[in-house]
Amino acid sequence: MTTTTDIDATVAIESSDLSITWSRIAFWGIVLFVVGYCGVLLAAMGVQIFGNEKPCPLCMLQRYAMILATIPAMWIVADALRAKLTRARYASALGMSIVAATCGAFESTRQILLHIASPTDRGYGSAVIGLHLYTWALITFIVVILFCGVALMCSVSVIPVAPGPGALRTMARAVEIGFLVVIAINVVLIVLLEGLSWVLPDDPTRYKLINDLGFGLH
Amino acid sequence: MDIVIMIVLMATAFCAWRGLSRRVVMTLWVLGLVAMLGLFKYHVTSPLHLNF
Repeated sequence: MTTTTDIDATVAIESSDLSITWSRIAFWGIVLFVVGYCGVLLAAMGVQIFGNEKPCPLCMLQRYAMILATIPAMWIVADALRAKLTRARYASALGMSIVAATCGAFESTRQILLHIASPTDRGYGSAVIGLHLYTWALITFIVVILFCGVALMCSVSVIPVAPGPGALRTMARAVEIGFLVVIAINVVLIVLLEGLSWVLPDDPTRYKLINDLGFGLH
Repeated sequence: MDIVIMIVLMATAFCAWRGLSRRVVMTLWVLGLVAMLGLFKYHVTSPLHLNF
């Protein structure tokens, strides 16, 4: 015969299982956030290197905002993997991502409006699936703000929990390192692009460092 | 300035990855954010003549 205590215990176990499932979903959601922005940054670098389209200062500013929004997400993943993630730190990191994404949204909106303001302007760079990169950037910033908002709403009951030792944990670690590599590539590219100048030119057409060093290549 | 910002961002990400203290990571992150906004202000020089 099932007693009230048994039912309470079963409900508690099911509730605990459900909570762990949501914590895992939250963890992989944050990992997906990092992977997503790594993909966006790699795509932008691909257009720069293989499409030979040098990023303008506003494009670079949007990349910085993307990196600033992703660093707190990577921090969450790193802390979860170390089992040191607290609710307060999780909420704080999500807030940081929202702030960075909002700043990035301002930057991309400014660039969109800059090209709308001039009737003869065809936009900067080539379009990808009908939209310019800065328009895609605005969409990603809005998605990040919404995602972090929902994660904050749920943070009262759900905080990310990393998987135990195994392939999934290794995958999460690889994502962290992948993000660091993406930033490192960006450092190299910006050094090549900016050269010995203090800021980027409005419409960069060459890797300035190569010119500054006297090689004169484009 | 762009190089400085990228180096600050790289340092921030590295500190977060290594699990350095919250104060260090937050300080570097805020420094990167302020530098980015400063550079944005530097590049945005004229108002846009748009009517909605």
